[in-house]
Amino acid sequence: MLHDFLYHDPGSMADALSFLREHGEESTVFSGGTDLFVAIRAGLTMPQHVVDLKGIDELHSLSWSDAEGLSIGACVTVNDLVESAIVREKFPVLYAAGSELATFQLRNRATVIGNIVTASPCGDMSSPLLVHGGQVVLSSAAGERKMPLGEFITGVKRTLIRSDEIVSRIVVPADWAGAAGGYEKLKRIKGHDLGVVAVAMIKSSAGFRVAISSAAPTPLLLPDFSPTATEEEIRKTAQEMITPIDDVRATAEYRAYMVDVYIRRLMKSLEGNT
Amino acid sequence: MLETVPASNLTSVGHKTRRVDSIEKLTGEATYVSDMVLPGMLYARVKTSPHARARIVSIDTSKAEAMVGVRAVITGHDIGYKLGLYVVDKDILARNEVRHFGEGVAAVAADTLEIAQKAIEAIHVEYEELEPVLHPKDAVKDDAPLVHPDLESYSYMEAAFTPRPGTNIANHTKLRKGDVEKGFAESEWIVEREYTNPSVQHVPMETHVAIVQWGKNDQVHIWSSAQSPYTLRNLFAVAFELPHRNIRVEVPYVGGGFGGKAGIGIEPLVALLSQAAKGRPVKLTATREEEFSLLPCRSQLTYQIRTGISKDGKIQAQEMTMYWDSGAYADYAVNVTRASGYSAGGPYEIPNATVDAYTIYTNKPFGTAYRGFGHVEFFWGLERHMDLVAQAIGMDPLEFRLKNTLKPGATTLTGEKITEHTGNITACLEKAAEMVDYGSVTEAEKAKAAAQGKKIGKAVVGLHKAPAMPPFTATTVILKMNEDATVTANLTLTDYGQGTYTAVAQMIAERLRMPMDRVKVAFESDTDRDPYDWQTVASKGLLLSGNAAILAADDLIATAYEDAAQVLRAHTRDLDHDADGIFLRHHPEHVVSWKQLAIGYAYPNGNGIGGPLVGVGRYIAQGLTHLNKETGEGSPALDWTYGAHGMIVAVDPDTGEYDVLKVASVFDAGRVINPDAFRGQAIGGMIQGLGTATVEGYIYDKKGHLLNPSFTDNKIPTAKDIPMEIEVFGVETPQVDGPFGARGIAEHSMISVAAALGNAIQHATGAEVTHMPLRSEDVWRALNRKDAVDNWITKSPLGSCKSAPELQKYTCD
Amino acid sequence: MKTVHFTINGETYRREVAEHKTLLHFLREDLGYTGTKEGCGAGECGACTIILNGKAVNSCLVLAAEADGSVIETIEGEASGNTLTEIQQAFDRNHAVQCGFCTAGMVMTVKDLFRRNAHPTRPEVIEGIEGNFCRCTGYEQIIEAVLDAAEHGAAEEISARDAGTTKEVSDA
Repeated sequence: MLHDFLYHDPGSMADALSFLREHGEESTVFSGGTDLFVAIRAGLTMPQHVVDLKGIDELHSLSWSDAEGLSIGACVTVNDLVESAIVREKFPVLYAAGSELATFQLRNRATVIGNIVTASPCGDMSSPLLVHGGQVVLSSAAGERKMPLGEFITGVKRTLIRSDEIVSRIVVPADWAGAAGGYEKLKRIKGHDLGVVAVAMIKSSAGFRVAISSAAPTPLLLPDFSPTATEEEIRKTAQEMITPIDDVRATAEYRAYMVDVYIRRLMKSLEGNT
Repeated sequence: MLETVPASNLTSVGHKTRRVDSIEKLTGEATYVSDMVLPGMLYARVKTSPHARARIVSIDTSKAEAMVGVRAVITGHDIGYKLGLYVVDKDILARNEVRHFGEGVAAVAADTLEIAQKAIEAIHVEYEELEPVLHPKDAVKDDAPLVHPDLESYSYMEAAFTPRPGTNIANHTKLRKGDVEKGFAESEWIVEREYTNPSVQHVPMETHVAIVQWGKNDQVHIWSSAQSPYTLRNLFAVAFELPHRNIRVEVPYVGGGFGGKAGIGIEPLVALLSQAAKGRPVKLTATREEEFSLLPCRSQLTYQIRTGISKDGKIQAQEMTMYWDSGAYADYAVNVTRASGYSAGGPYEIPNATVDAYTIYTNKPFGTAYRGFGHVEFFWGLERHMDLVAQAIGMDPLEFRLKNTLKPGATTLTGEKITEHTGNITACLEKAAEMVDYGSVTEAEKAKAAAQGKKIGKAVVGLHKAPAMPPFTATTVILKMNEDATVTANLTLTDYGQGTYTAVAQMIAERLRMPMDRVKVAFESDTDRDPYDWQTVASKGLLLSGNAAILAADDLIATAYEDAAQVLRAHTRDLDHDADGIFLRHHPEHVVSWKQLAIGYAYPNGNGIGGPLVGVGRYIAQGLTHLNKETGEGSPALDWTYGAHGMIVAVDPDTGEYDVLKVASVFDAGRVINPDAFRGQAIGGMIQGLGTATVEGYIYDKKGHLLNPSFTDNKIPTAKDIPMEIEVFGVETPQVDGPFGARGIAEHSMISVAAALGNAIQHATGAEVTHMPLRSEDVWRALNRKDAVDNWITKSPLGSCKSAPELQKYTCD
Repeated sequence: MKTVHFTINGETYRREVAEHKTLLHFLREDLGYTGTKEGCGAGECGACTIILNGKAVNSCLVLAAEADGSVIETIEGEASGNTLTEIQQAFDRNHAVQCGFCTAGMVMTVKDLFRRNAHPTRPEVIEGIEGNFCRCTGYEQIIEAVLDAAEHGAAEEISARDAGTTKEVSDA
């Protein structure tokens, strides 16, 4: 049961952004609504206006260009992502993480960008997008700004988004497109669960890139590793950088242990890949 | 009854049959209380306590009362009634003091749910937070704050329970058999361990929901998602001091119960709202979060077992101490304590025994009936213990069990004698062992597991349960013939998924010699129209209501034979019947059809004889007794259903992750009435058992706040969480007084599953876990000899692989 | 308030809806489609699964307002007259229904699965229904029902209905 709010369905970016310029403080933008309506029902947020982005055609675009890379629009659902041949071919770690997110029904609605903007430390899309150097594009009536995903997420459920802005798309550069990758996620059951801790890793000719979620207030991108980096080196860096906590889901100790296990597993699975 | 009829003579019972209630559920036509709307109906919301223990300093409802659309606002201050079946301790809304996180403090009925929600947000409660008592071992200390300082003034069922006023002990169940000191003195080994498990929630897919209309002249009409319409009516009548005839309870389709809807729940609160709202019907639907905290759960258990074993591996003596943490209220929990008390030793012969089982109040959401009625909780400890004892004495765990199983001639803890008709636990264990190839792990199995870095472990565990119910529990089934010779059965045993109605239809069809499609079991229950049944709990429905159904059919047949004898000018003894009618055995062409008799027989000239055909079958449990309150001696068991599970797991010895490769469940069902329904109960219960074993459990902080009141952190199994292979088998040692020899298995499938898992994991890796649940982290901790996670419920004080100091002659590596 | 137009199981609706009302509640309370159930209200249990514009979704997390212009399929649209669909018949044969509360959501999830995969393997079935809790059956008989339905041409029956034909679908 949701509290009273008004629903808006702008047909264009211009309409959406001018609305936000006026009412951004009391509004929340959404596409899938799978985080927003849960939060509203729990009384955690009470916007006066909800702004549905799904009427804006360009936000549904999921496209690839050699120059820019992969562009994921605000309304691209997680299932759109995992069903995309381009994503499976060029970004296997995005495919792997997306497949692990919640349930099939939820993935038909939940968006990649929604997951990022919610910025939960256990979000499934953040660490894969971090290892691929994802760039967030923020649009407002005043224009556009772009920043690396790591900069965009600043804390637990906190980002740099302003009340008059929409994250209109995420650009995943071509730099590591085609890199072999994997995503290991600790769950409490074999069915759907949030990530108690998770590791995303890719390996390309440029080296290894690793990001870890649910082991710090924000998803953690480790420094780049050279192609000849050893397993020990990566494991050691990870243990130095993570700051997991004890909570109802697991202890810090076990999270740290499983990060280590996942790095070993991923490195083993990526052996032989360039 | 009819237990000796050979299977080859049966055309309905024992055969695969579709359920009588699937279609309407498949099409969406089945109506549940959560679907119901009545004219003028108001919507209720409850304001709940954010504190585990606090004094209510003041409640300001003025803003809520002033809201447009609010029709009633009540607080505990307005309510003088308490509720309870076994001990009357339950406040409908907290009065003066809140006793648990999530307890109801005020309630509102309004024109819409949204208005009701705004109204409860506008109620201001001032609390004085008090120090809660959260751990049962703290609650029994002398200086513990009392959850119920007025325990002395509560009425309770004196024949069965022993509360200790002035303490937090709501009940102490005692059992004394033989001479334990002598037994221990004669033991070669003594092993003592402690096992714990947390509270869990039933998680019915339909949360608790009720509509109540308190009409003029105190005519109260209740629609509830409930398991037991007559108990609901009775408790309501007792609590509100109304004649039974004033109260009408209707139970339509129910979306799961598992014990959580066994007795009375939110109905009294909703009734009071209706009364305050000038008699308009009021509906309260619990949210999922309220289901976890406002509504009851399953009690937590700490179970200490001390066992003395002879040189040749036979149990000589056993001391069993149970600390049941029932939370803020203990009504059902005291009976769980009692029922577990007399069953506590499992299906094993224990010549000398003591049981001390305590129901303990703490400031947490309270425990009620839950599938297994204590047995899932204590068999965790008991069947882990059997393995650990076997390990300590150097015997194979299955061999140890088989050596000690109850066999004909042995006596139970309460002195009841086992006969060859009681059931065959040995056969169950042996069959389960065979189904998982216990005792051997093939090279292929090992290699497959090793490829994933895992090790195989196997375990076989036993179980038993008798229905926990009053020794004089009774039920009635009424059967009516329709004009077209179909029949309609009425009963208030409810079917919320078990398939009992289908089994009842099969039995009626069998006796009437009619096809199943001519038997209707009227689904919804209505206490104004349908006859009495005690409760739909305890796995007693198939037995008691099955017998009543047979008797109802036989009664209808007897009446019909009387009428037919007149028509055919014959003696009833010379008649027989088939699907079409009643005929003279030696002149079968002399027949009168069922249709001709159904509503009275009319002669060609218009004379009528006989009348509408109705059969009444009433059945009461026979020969059972109360238990002696000092010794526990008595005959409480309607029937014992024995069973066993075999389990194969593959465990990663590095991380504690594991896969359940196979579960084989065996039950001595007496006679399997409906093979698919039997399988449905067996698998459904086993998966619920796996849930409780692998992940379920309430987690509190040190102030008693429930930290996981939703599916986000209170997980249950999904389709991906089932074992890779599941097998079910029914042993059939006929129950003499069971319908066609049948016994129930509804709860049994969930029992001992957790212990099978714990044992198999230990067999695979040596990881010894004595608390539940067994998440991968819990296994990892045990593998590495670390302390268990302290979440206020699951920590076993004895840690891993350590012995209590007073142990004799037991060593571990 | 917003005016919404949509079709439910082929029937056209035009109604006013409160803007904050979920599609689940609108279906159940305003339109009387009580076949779809609420199990948690938070997108975890799948009991509220319907098919919206060809996709299986948790209706508890969709606003009725968002569904303007949509094609909605609920459990009530499955059987026609006394004829159950192959999925429903298979569930009935295989004892895949106990308390029935998860059933509507489960059947719609399975319908959607068959549109995407006419003959799923057992692991694919398990993956497909993972987002629907069942507390009663332990899932095994549901899985068997889905595999049985596939063998009886459930997917082909759905395609035929989608194409608007009424031809009989023979057993595979």
